[in-house]
Amino acid sequence: MEIWRLPISASQRGKLISAGYTSLSSLSSISSSDLARELNVSESEAMNILKVASHSRGSETSNASCSIVEGAQSAWDMLHDEESLMHITTSSADLDNILGGGIHCKEVTEIGGVPGIGKTQLGIQIAVNVQIPNDFGGLGGNSIYIDTEGSFMVERAFQIAEACIEDMSEYNRFLRKDFQECKIKMQPQDILENIFYFRICSYTEQIALINYLDKFLSEHKDVKVIVVDSVTFHFRQDFDDMALRTRVLSGMALKLMNLAKRFSLAVVLLNQVTTKHTEASFQLALALGDSWSHTCTNRIVLYWNGNERYAYIDKSPSLRSA
Amino acid sequence: MARLANLETEYPVLDSTVRNFCASHGIFSVEDFLIHDLYMLAAFAEQNDSSERLKEGIAQVLSIIDDMHQPWLNGMELLEDAKRNKHVFPTGIQGIDLLLGDGIRVGQLTELVGPSSSGKTQVCLRTASNVARNHMVLYLDTGNSFSPQCIAYFLGKTISPSSAQAKNQFLQKVMSNISCHSVFDIFAMFDVLHQLESYLRCQDGRGCCQMRLLIVDSISSLISPVLGSSSTLGRALMTSAGYLLKKLAHQHNLAVLIINHTVGGEGGSSKPALGDSWKCIPHSRLFLSCDRGSNTYNVSILRHPSMASVKAARFVI
Repeated sequence: MEIWRLPISASQRGKLISAGYTSLSSLSSISSSDLARELNVSESEAMNILKVASHSRGSETSNASCSIVEGAQSAWDMLHDEESLMHITTSSADLDNILGGGIHCKEVTEIGGVPGIGKTQLGIQIAVNVQIPNDFGGLGGNSIYIDTEGSFMVERAFQIAEACIEDMSEYNRFLRKDFQECKIKMQPQDILENIFYFRICSYTEQIALINYLDKFLSEHKDVKVIVVDSVTFHFRQDFDDMALRTRVLSGMALKLMNLAKRFSLAVVLLNQVTTKHTEASFQLALALGDSWSHTCTNRIVLYWNGNERYAYIDKSPSLRSA
Repeated sequence: MARLANLETEYPVLDSTVRNFCASHGIFSVEDFLIHDLYMLAAFAEQNDSSERLKEGIAQVLSIIDDMHQPWLNGMELLEDAKRNKHVFPTGIQGIDLLLGDGIRVGQLTELVGPSSSGKTQVCLRTASNVARNHMVLYLDTGNSFSPQCIAYFLGKTISPSSAQAKNQFLQKVMSNISCHSVFDIFAMFDVLHQLESYLRCQDGRGCCQMRLLIVDSISSLISPVLGSSSTLGRALMTSAGYLLKKLAHQHNLAVLIINHTVGGEGGSSKPALGDSWKCIPHSRLFLSCDRGSNTYNVSILRHPSMASVKAARFVI
């Protein structure tokens, strides 16, 4: 294995190569103080490099585990895991139906639509719905709402929270007709308290926030959904360097995927639409292009048909298009 | 390939006289040795005082280098190897199997390219469920799109209806052969491939159920964050990933299936992502697209070692 496959900074890599260390085996027998002296770096940096190198090499020798690689799961185990995963309801029975029960956890779902169709409302609804306690079929978790456009209205969230609680008490009354302990302890304020709201104003803030979310989520283990509204806003206008945009977006998408998988939460991204010219006709397509469309697990497109809103699934690993 | 200083413990011939001599010519490691003109070096060694030691040292380094290259194979040995080891795995999808002449080939890197939602993941899942009946499969997933339910569904369709318990047992046996691992950046993928390599080295000795299929879905999402910046590291990582996959495929008799996506090309047509440098790395490339209206998928060959290009087929999943 070569040096430049290690995740170390470019300057350290340059120093290693110019000093003659081009492969990991050459780093195997040297001590950190010698390395520090030769490379002219601090001792802690040298120890870091050696640690990364020995970690990569150590993984070569450990093969006694039953799985092929560490962290791999067999498909059979995953099938059973999936059956126990909960979904987040969107409060619209039809939408839930085509989604197979709601928004899946451990996946990144992208929802796009024309302006005014209700994406932000849907986002707020999901942020509220995730807090439905387990007894009522919800996840009982907190939510993170990342706002890039400034369209989060607290009053509206309050209304939705109130409606949700009313819904729950009705459901309660409907199903449990006895006087057992089924009082709704939640108040709208509690629901609002459990929504962590971040407002960002530029794309660098967006990237910084997603990097920070890793630490945030390790501290707040209850978060079960991240809603980003909208993920494309800062990337559409005035972005000169297209290659940079692709790199940044794909890096961001991978990090979100990583968060979704590690912390078992659902990530919902709201996106805008643009028109695409195909074969002399105009077709609505989600913004940010083809490369972005490969980075999410599921895609839902909302559109108007006459006076009604329709949704269809554009991409999904386990559901049919509907 | 280590620095000469570090090799001293194993090969005491390479002591400080030899090393100083080499250092005077700017040679610090075995690799530098390869770049230098050996005749000149030998001539200088003759003129030096302790020429015997130096020549021994040089000979020792050359023998170290000799150990490192791959063994030579002649044509007959290659043919034997191909007949014995390099089978063809059917994907389970009739259209693709007909197009490819029975399926994907062991020892080769097959790439599936297509726009979003054109069925690439479905083809991979189908192939995985087909191969998993007899061999082990490793699925590297970057987008959390590995769906055990799909696999269970495909397997359920293929076996005859029998008791639920027998079906369950069958499902369990086959699905335990598929391992899925999520990787989210390219360095993690290198780690995983490395562990895989050492696992395969021990596996080659055993005769039991062996790993025969590696699926990477999708390699383009791993490479896009590093490709294209001012440094050339991204491209180096990409080519090195390609070579590592090909090496694993050939040496350990794996079939490797990777997924790439498309970007907009000239005139609005889509072309495969990752650019021209990646174009020559996979052995075969298939282009998938989907007809929304009729729910059928089209596949055409972009590149294949033994089939003519531009052949196309349709299939339904």
